[in-house]
Amino acid sequence: MSVIELKNINKYFGTGTSRVHVLSDVNFAADKGELILVVGPSGSGKSTFLTIAGGLQTPSSGKVIVEGQDVDQLTKKQRDKLRLNHVGFVLQSYALVPYLKVKEQLEFVRRVKRTGLLSSEDLQSLLAQLGIEDLVDKFPGQLSGGQTQRVAIARALYANPEIVLADEPTAALDSARVAEVGKLFKELAETRNKAVVVVTHDMRLAEFADKTYEILDGKLGLKQPAQETY
Amino acid sequence: MYLALKEIRHEKLRYSLITGMIVLITYLIFILSGLATGLAGENTQAIDSWNAKSVVLNRDANVNLSQSTITTDQIDNANLTKNQAVIGQSPVVVKSHDREKESAQFVGLKNNEYIAKDLSVANGRKARTSHEVVVDQQFKQDGYKLGDKVKFNSATTRYTIVGFTKNAKLNVAPVVYGSLSTWKDLRNMPGAKLAGSAIVSKTANFKSHNKELKTYSDSYFVSKLPGYAAQNTTFGFMIGFLMIISLVIIAVFLYILTIQALPTYAVLRAQGIPAATLVRTIISQSLILMALGIVIGTGLTLITANMIPFGVPISFNVPMLAMISVGLLLMGIIGAAIPARKIAVVDPVQVIGG
Ligand SMILES: Nc1ncnc2c1ncn2[C@@H]1O[C@H](COP(=O)(O)OP(=O)(O)OP(=O)(O)O)[C@@H](O)[C@H]1O
Ligand SMILES: [Mg+2]
Repeated sequence: MSVIELKNINKYFGTGTSRVHVLSDVNFAADKGELILVVGPSGSGKSTFLTIAGGLQTPSSGKVIVEGQDVDQLTKKQRDKLRLNHVGFVLQSYALVPYLKVKEQLEFVRRVKRTGLLSSEDLQSLLAQLGIEDLVDKFPGQLSGGQTQRVAIARALYANPEIVLADEPTAALDSARVAEVGKLFKELAETRNKAVVVVTHDMRLAEFADKTYEILDGKLGLKQPAQETY
Repeated sequence: MYLALKEIRHEKLRYSLITGMIVLITYLIFILSGLATGLAGENTQAIDSWNAKSVVLNRDANVNLSQSTITTDQIDNANLTKNQAVIGQSPVVVKSHDREKESAQFVGLKNNEYIAKDLSVANGRKARTSHEVVVDQQFKQDGYKLGDKVKFNSATTRYTIVGFTKNAKLNVAPVVYGSLSTWKDLRNMPGAKLAGSAIVSKTANFKSHNKELKTYSDSYFVSKLPGYAAQNTTFGFMIGFLMIISLVIIAVFLYILTIQALPTYAVLRAQGIPAATLVRTIISQSLILMALGIVIGTGLTLITANMIPFGVPISFNVPMLAMISVGLLLMGIIGAAIPARKIAVVDPVQVIGG
């Protein structure tokens, strides 16, 4: 069974003549162990898709089902809990709390979530896998863009979510780094059995994905192999 | 609490500056309230020491002790017991050979009535004759000694200081306790059969049984002391305004910090961190800053209180300072309310996908 499912999602912004139909009849599902890429030009609705999938935004119509729960039926607090326990967000910017050291970013997650976290051995091996085990005493201001990104991934995964949602995780990274992040997400999906959904306009990630979808004119469809970049 | 402390420790300069502001305000509030209490005390110390519950004055005296005279006829039916005393009050200038002149309040007493009996003398002894007086400690500070001969106003009669008493201030002047007959001489109203200025009673609602006299409660009488209410309202206003200033400072500070940190809070909300956790962060920060400010402000106040010269009327009313501190903490909570609301409604979608 899919851990995350979107059924007949429509999303409109605005009213009257300024109304835009950003997502139209979107159907989507992701399973554990999969790395799924969603690509599309700027303004096509990728972030909108991701925030709806993560329960941060409600669709105009349609259903979002995360871990078997209909997100629409949940209260705001239950949605917080759903995200805390099952969804890890990896965002491009502002991802880290500026006044917490890397290890404190993790400690804060531990204090809020308390249970169901990675064991400390697993955390250590995750940090090693991400290559940031030596950075635990640094503040975000002392990290490079790539290191920041990896710490943000570590923080998301420490809470041990089944689902990882990433928005433009490779923005501002050079090609070598992009390949690294691609490999990392692939490994996360395979070795840690997560459902990883990455929205991006960076086609360089496509070679790592199990499936690549494309949003065009609000419609989500499997990307045809003809490689074009945005 | 975790985030609150971490942020304060990381942004030491920022938070020290704001704590510094709160320290200064707290200090100013404490010193002002110390002065307010001190000055209020100098108005009422003597009255407080009499343990008065009610005061009888001439009905036409406009609740003013100095304007009030009571004749012997008027108190005929008053039925004085051991709980009442007649006093005669008059402002005097005390003069003595090679001592500074001193403005004082003369209070004439009857030796067999309770105020004279209960009078506690710190040095020397009580007056036995009408030519002996007991005076407030302030005279001692100003160089007067036991045995000094003093004159009042321009009269020639000489009186001997036989004792010093503590806490005897009335209308911000030291009190000279003497006899009622001396008071009559000072009043200099020949022919009038004067009894005194007022009857002071240890019991509430004492009845004088004379329609030319009127009984006032102790608190009402005190509130009508010349300048007393005006002084207290002035201090009250100053303290109130300082409270509001502290509120504005903390609110603006936290607001600016919050606006800057909003994207961070939004990311944390996206992560599923409950809004309540983040709201608690900003409120605890505010309380930590206020508490720190109050503690340091109290320290400075204590140091100042120990260094301040005698004669500056400053005295600390601990329950009142505690209430002010609670008030400041309350200001901290109110000041955090607006930023807290900003955090509570922050929309994580704003920071995603930009
Ligand atoms: N809150 C909103 N109100 C109105 N319009 C919105 C809102 N959010 C998004 N849109 C519009 O919806 C469309 C899709 O936005 P979205 O952010 O999902 O695009 P995107 O594919 O993530 O773009 P990019 O690659 O630039 O990040 C855009 O046209 C955008 O202007
Ligand atoms: Mg986007």
